[in-house]
Amino acid sequence: MTRPIRTLQTAHQDRLDLEAVINALSTRFSVVVSVGEATFRYRLDTFDHRLRAAGLTLQHQSGGDGDLLVLGDGETTLSEPLGNVRWPALVDALPAGRLRERTAPVIGIRALIAMSEESRRLRRLDLLNQDAKTVARVEVDEPDSPTVGPAQLTVRTLRGYEEQSHHAVRLLSGTGLRPLRRRADDDRDQPATLTTVDRHAPATLLLATGLKDVLTTMRANLPGLLDDVDTEFLHDFRVAVRRTRSTLKLARSTLPEAVRARWEPVFKGLGDLTTPVRDLDVYELDLPTMAGWLVAAGPADLEPFAAHLRTRRAAARLPVVTELHSARFRRLLTQWGDELDWLTEASYDPSVQTVPAGQWAERSISRAYRRVVRGGAAITTDSPATDLHALRKRCKELRYAIEVSGPVVARGPRKQALAHLKKLQDVLGRVQDCQVQSTSLRGFAEAMMVEGTPASALLAMGELIAHLDAEQARARRQFDASFAQFSRPRARQTMDKLGGAQR
Amino acid sequence: MRIYATYNIKGGVGKTTTAVNLAYLSAREGRRTLLWDLDPQGAATYLFRVRPRVKGGAHALVARRRPIEDAIKATDFDNLDLLPADFSYRNMDLDLDDTKKPIRRLAQLLKEVADDYDVVFLDCPPSVSLVSENVLHAADTLLIPLIPATLSMRTLEQLTQFVADSAGRKPELVAFFSMADRRKRLHRDVINGAPPGGARISPAVIPALSIIEQMAEHRAPLLIFAPTSAAAKCYEQLWADVRPS
Repeated sequence: MTRPIRTLQTAHQDRLDLEAVINALSTRFSVVVSVGEATFRYRLDTFDHRLRAAGLTLQHQSGGDGDLLVLGDGETTLSEPLGNVRWPALVDALPAGRLRERTAPVIGIRALIAMSEESRRLRRLDLLNQDAKTVARVEVDEPDSPTVGPAQLTVRTLRGYEEQSHHAVRLLSGTGLRPLRRRADDDRDQPATLTTVDRHAPATLLLATGLKDVLTTMRANLPGLLDDVDTEFLHDFRVAVRRTRSTLKLARSTLPEAVRARWEPVFKGLGDLTTPVRDLDVYELDLPTMAGWLVAAGPADLEPFAAHLRTRRAAARLPVVTELHSARFRRLLTQWGDELDWLTEASYDPSVQTVPAGQWAERSISRAYRRVVRGGAAITTDSPATDLHALRKRCKELRYAIEVSGPVVARGPRKQALAHLKKLQDVLGRVQDCQVQSTSLRGFAEAMMVEGTPASALLAMGELIAHLDAEQARARRQFDASFAQFSRPRARQTMDKLGGAQR
Repeated sequence: MRIYATYNIKGGVGKTTTAVNLAYLSAREGRRTLLWDLDPQGAATYLFRVRPRVKGGAHALVARRRPIEDAIKATDFDNLDLLPADFSYRNMDLDLDDTKKPIRRLAQLLKEVADDYDVVFLDCPPSVSLVSENVLHAADTLLIPLIPATLSMRTLEQLTQFVADSAGRKPELVAFFSMADRRKRLHRDVINGAPPGGARISPAVIPALSIIEQMAEHRAPLLIFAPTSAAAKCYEQLWADVRPS
């Protein structure tokens, strides 16, 4: 096996003097130079940089020997031939093998996207000992033009021959090559850091800043949503819409009436517009898990249901794509951005009196927390599912209140409070998801019966409904314990640190 | 990690050439592969141009005075490493006999590198010894090259019985004809005849061709210097038959 031990590079805008490199290495090794090969290279990652967060790099190299996927973790590289794949693509498009096994858990349901592309020339120098055995390798990686960036030489050590590769590094360093520095354009797709707001600043500044961050997320996810790259673009877009709606609701006493009156219906409309597609996405994503629930039926029996979902989803996407592609929607986003700029400017106007951001955050978290506690305490074993759904919405509002207040509340208690809340949200989410899925499965089954779907598919769907009902009952039983944990004194103290338990 | 061993009591039947070519094919498919040359003659080591030397010799390895990882050398091929032979391997039986569980020691040593490799090949010396008993315990699949001759079939029966009688887990036995010369009637008759019970005979037949002997001249797997040769295709066929699913 080989692993890289050092990467060196030419000085900025210098062409690589390959002859000088070979001459230096030849003082100790026999050097076998491979013919330079032009490659086109795409750097792949998911939209939310899951591979980079896991310390992995994935490249699609396209050259004379065909297409290759190269996975690196800083220590080792793994390469596999690649068939005809167009990016973006889901992980299933990668060839079966170790590379896919290694990356699939990291990539999950997200699509791989070509984050950058460049044209390079690759060649390999094999360094041989007296037995003509390769004892080290140097990979020479040159850009088509020195203006694009420096040439890079990576010395790879072969297991059991480490001394020789270190010697090669010393020889290369003697030719004026320097250790690799990270290129500035590697930072191009770094996630943006959160804007800071002082807790004594006006609350409108905190709100406008938070809403701008959310608008950035909304805009960033829009192209992937429209191109249907993966389901998470729509999901993240909808979360951004929901956060905007919650923030506007929380800020009813702080933001000008005209702002709320205009924008609350706009974002409610966006939420309603995208709900049907998201509901169908959830089904499609859950289908493999659902297939595992079947006892009498087999996974193949669900194929008509999967086909029905695909047809419905395609139909449900049409109005979404039409609306979000429209000039009207583009204008709305621009106007919303302008509105937030205006709010930011206005917050610096000393003649306008608003509460300080810290005080607003404490008050909002407190109000949202009390609504959750009151709502939860009123739930009994006889409460209808709609009451639990209403409580779930209150929990989301509390979550967004804590999140939008992020810049002005202590980080530790904020993370703790979100962790406490998440446990309760998970239980409520299961109750609600089972309820919605069970109800809509019945609706799907009726529609499919009219279409003449085989009985085996409908029977399999019946099994799913039975499983969902049982799962909902299980989650319902867990609610009391989860709520007791959420409202216990220790959790209350955490909330108190954020101002949440104030009265 | 899947462990294959090329083994036969007889020498000169194609164990090393099989181990080298199949290990190369495994690595070429992206599997992290290790070939352990257990034969003190070091033919596999020679073919990969690695020096036949293990620091501390067989004794240090078997007694765990040196970790097995330290003795491993990369070959010239991606994903393929070699644990070279050392002339001290001629005494490996004695070294194994000095350990607590003498017939399980090689399996224990290989566990140390289980995270590093997907496939291991053991190229065994031609004998019935403590080393071969260790190999039987360590291997998941025993690949048995057979020259198509009556005596070879008798050897296969003896080997099948030996495995059946041995204690503990037993490897899958896959025999295949090696150094086959279809011009010889005897070879044809044996290849087409009924196989003895107990071992599966692979449909892949490795022919007796001088190109295989040239591996020693090129010091490389056949698939490198004669990738389109008939013999190379036969090794590919054999690997397709036995490779991990």
